[in-house]
Amino acid sequence: MNASVRISAASLRAHKRRFAGTFLAVFLGVAFLAGTLVMGDTLRASFDTMFGNATSGTDAVVRSADAITTPGESEGVRAPVATDLVSTIERAPGVAAAAPSIQGAGQLIAKDGDPIGGQGPPTLAGNWISDPKLNPYQLAEGHTPRKSGEVVIDRGTAERGDLKIGDTTTLRTPDPVKVTVVGLATFGGEDGMAQVTFTGMTLADAEKYLTARPGEAASIQVRAGPGVSQQQLVDELTPVLPKGVEAITGQESAQENTDMISSQFLSIFTTFLLVFSGVALLVATFSIHNTFAIVVAQRTRENALLRALGASRRQVTASTLVEATAVAITASLAGLAGGIGIAAGLQALFPAIGFPFPEGDLVISALSMALPLAVGIVVCLGSALLPAVRAGRTAPLAALRETAVDTSGASRTRAVTGLGLGALAIAVTLTGVLVSPSIWLAAGGAVLALVAFVVLGPVASTTAVRVLGGPLDRLRGVTGGLARRNALRSPKRTAATASALMIGVAVVSLFTVFGASLKATMDQTVSRSFAGDVAISTPSFGAGGSGLSPRLADAVQKLPEVDTAVGLGRGVAEVDGKGRALTVTDPVALERTFDLGQIQGSMSSLSTDGIAITENEADKQHLTTGDKARLTFTDGRTQTFTVRAVYGQSELAGDYVITRDAWAPHRTQDADTLVAVSFKGGVSTDDGKAAVEKVAAQYGNPEVQTRDEYAQSAAGGIDMMLTLVYALLALAVLIALLGIANTLTLAIHERTRELGLLRAVGQTRAQLRAMVRWESVLVAAFGTVGGLALGGFLGWVLVEASDGASDSAFAFALPPLQLAVVALVGITAGALAGLRPARRAARLDVLRAIATE
Amino acid sequence: MTTTTVTTTTPTAARVVDAVKVYGSGDTSVRALDGVSVDFPVGRFTAIMGPSGSGKSTLMHCAAGLDTLTSGTAHIGDTELSSLDDRRLTLLRRDRVGFVFQSFNLVPTLTVAENITLPLDLAGGKGDPEWVDALIDVVGLRDRLHHRPSELSGGQQQRVAVARAFAGQPDVVFADEPTGNLDSRSGGEVLGLLGRTVRQTARTVVMVTHDPVAAAHADEVVFLADGRLVDRMESPTADKVLDRMKAFEVPS
Repeated sequence: MNASVRISAASLRAHKRRFAGTFLAVFLGVAFLAGTLVMGDTLRASFDTMFGNATSGTDAVVRSADAITTPGESEGVRAPVATDLVSTIERAPGVAAAAPSIQGAGQLIAKDGDPIGGQGPPTLAGNWISDPKLNPYQLAEGHTPRKSGEVVIDRGTAERGDLKIGDTTTLRTPDPVKVTVVGLATFGGEDGMAQVTFTGMTLADAEKYLTARPGEAASIQVRAGPGVSQQQLVDELTPVLPKGVEAITGQESAQENTDMISSQFLSIFTTFLLVFSGVALLVATFSIHNTFAIVVAQRTRENALLRALGASRRQVTASTLVEATAVAITASLAGLAGGIGIAAGLQALFPAIGFPFPEGDLVISALSMALPLAVGIVVCLGSALLPAVRAGRTAPLAALRETAVDTSGASRTRAVTGLGLGALAIAVTLTGVLVSPSIWLAAGGAVLALVAFVVLGPVASTTAVRVLGGPLDRLRGVTGGLARRNALRSPKRTAATASALMIGVAVVSLFTVFGASLKATMDQTVSRSFAGDVAISTPSFGAGGSGLSPRLADAVQKLPEVDTAVGLGRGVAEVDGKGRALTVTDPVALERTFDLGQIQGSMSSLSTDGIAITENEADKQHLTTGDKARLTFTDGRTQTFTVRAVYGQSELAGDYVITRDAWAPHRTQDADTLVAVSFKGGVSTDDGKAAVEKVAAQYGNPEVQTRDEYAQSAAGGIDMMLTLVYALLALAVLIALLGIANTLTLAIHERTRELGLLRAVGQTRAQLRAMVRWESVLVAAFGTVGGLALGGFLGWVLVEASDGASDSAFAFALPPLQLAVVALVGITAGALAGLRPARRAARLDVLRAIATE
Repeated sequence: MTTTTVTTTTPTAARVVDAVKVYGSGDTSVRALDGVSVDFPVGRFTAIMGPSGSGKSTLMHCAAGLDTLTSGTAHIGDTELSSLDDRRLTLLRRDRVGFVFQSFNLVPTLTVAENITLPLDLAGGKGDPEWVDALIDVVGLRDRLHHRPSELSGGQQQRVAVARAFAGQPDVVFADEPTGNLDSRSGGEVLGLLGRTVRQTARTVVMVTHDPVAAAHADEVVFLADGRLVDRMESPTADKVLDRMKAFEVPS
């Protein structure tokens, strides 16, 4: 073993450069992984601290016990509690103070007229709790709201909206409310609760604008007297509370809030990043494997000599593995340091982009260090294992042979295995997609397809490079021809190098195709089911935004240009025990502005005890027209509705429709999510739109969009997501690029003599550089084309599987422009990767190159 | 330009004047060439001989523009080499000089035919197709044109190298120990080929060798020792060359 270590050490010293690529690949992957984990821990810890600080004065929270959760939502909707409970609570033993907390949606308008936030995190409004210990927000400047129209907003929001104390602006609740900022608040010592915006109003204002009727609050915050623990307080409170209302400790409440943020935001965020570090490390695996494979091949004679001199197979294998271990450990350790650096950098960067990342020390847990370290070492050693074993198998006789380059191409076994795998992949995928829709089958098929691509790589590389490089001979003469043949020299090597890029490109194209398909789906949905001329909506995303005033539709309806204006509100209820979203609207007008497909029964006869259901849900719930369905609302009341209509298409209209009158007794804060408007005959879209815009301006100025604009904006969030995905995938492409550069450098080292000869017989430096660059481009082109094919296929699988798994129909779309850009980026990456090796090759001294053995 | 100062009976294809080449500096410096002046006339087959370390390879490399002189000048035809930058030197090598190396140095990815026309292809031209065609017959490789170098014997590979050296109709072909890696029969064939090509097509060949038998194929032999030109011999035979070489072994 000592001998192995000595040999590895000597070899590492002598060939530092060769391992630079491996080092970088491991380093980047580990750094990204460690950075993600450290940042996740730090964020989680700081949210804990922040909520702990903010709610430290609240010892118990009283609220409705039941929550109705609709599918796809993590946070349930709770019924409000009566504010007159406060006096009951205050009389309970151990209670020092109690205050109602009203919470609703309220979106502030910035100084420039645009709404603040609304793209993800909630935009909250509530009453300003005057007891500073019960209020999670602390007044930092100015005074508390004393009279109607005065508000306190959190400092982060004030900065984003360029609002100062004394400024007057509009709060969409969704009815526009004129408010004056009189104070700025902090949350748990920070400028705000992440990106959440908060507006605190007087209790009277909050009751007026944020609740359906006065005397209700989301919860009641309770503070304990001296010497009373939180649990004791809860125990005291529980007996005095009416049925359906519960008390939880302040700690539990804070924990729930933190968990909610974690599940809604942090875990999505970190999972997202972890997936990308996974992709990066997968790409790195190929680069590392390739480097070791080449190094071992180049060292065949040396290893053979060692074997001839009596080294055992184990010793030769071990010496390669020791080298890999040394590289793995140094690179992984450096990666850990890099990861901490990334986290620290983000901590510094986040506040700069308006995201209050709490200050404080980074949380570096043992796990977030041990895991990336282990992954880095395992990936590196795993990638080096096969080449190391191959090194051990070197026959002593190879020492006497001339050639050391592995030119073995694609074996029959490989072709057969690859094709078999490919066929299996297609079969499994098609079964999962078309025959019996199942995400798991489809995913399994996708993984098999990836494996098949990697296995078939060397088989395909020969043909692919020949085809792709075909035009080179004509375009670039002998330089191009030589480049093409160099790329063909070692199909295995070409394929392994290209595989790294292929995976990167495949993931990029997968997201591109899926994104485009989602957009096409939206587009299709709007054009199929939206029969109106313009749509009024507040572009928002996630929990943000405050919706539209329920009075807007009526106001628009009064316009002479308008035939029908219908507002769609949203409610929740349990339908026969299952949480469901309801569309609250005028069913008759709905029928006129949306294409609801085939309707059985009549939409006009819903009244206050009728409901309309989509065919799909009706089938699932075994309901037909005339059947009874029991709806339980958030206020705990249950009412029996009769199914009066079953309609064919849901999409924009939702699955359950009830009238406003039916909803009114159970309503919470009223808001419409969409107002659809159709014009009278002869009214041009432009004229109609202008008229509607004028009315909308008085209702918080929501966006008025034509059908096409609406379809496009509905897909707007997708573009934002894609941009983020692309930024992260740049890392994978960078690692692939390093892999190509590394392989080329090693290949050039191998071909020193040949390059010297070419120079001797008259190849100019420019020609030599071009030759190396074109080889790089060819390898990259092969990887890119493979990646596009694989990514396109996986995108199709994902779309079809989603289609099968969900009720709404998914459209599949291949965006030619974006995919062309991806292809261009991949090939450009190849050209860039070739730059350095090309320059190095061109610098070769002719005489020395010829003389090199 | 400088031809007027040198009296020659025939025009020279290549020559060096007062060539000095020093490797390294200070105590470790080695004078590989120590003031050598020699002409290689057009249409002649000249062999450069000398013991190991006599500077014969250095002389060839400098004369061919693969290496630069410390002082003195090297010319290909009328062109003085030291004034050329790397690009012009490369183009000069491509268009006016041919090379045959000891270890064949064929491009393994190219076929025999492609290897032969490589300098022409690099120049982007077709050259003279009739000449190339005739050359293929001279070296006797017509049935091997589409093979890869790895499918050929050593002698065949070196014949490809010879064809490549002549393909562009260069002013002069430099051969560095062209038979060093060949058995005597293949070596003889290659040497015969070089000699025939010079005589039939009035080409110029300068060959470095340490083998008296190989030198005997030349029209003239120049002897180098310790970086200096020490002797010239017209119409050499193997025995005469061997005798002359033995003289070097007597301590001087």
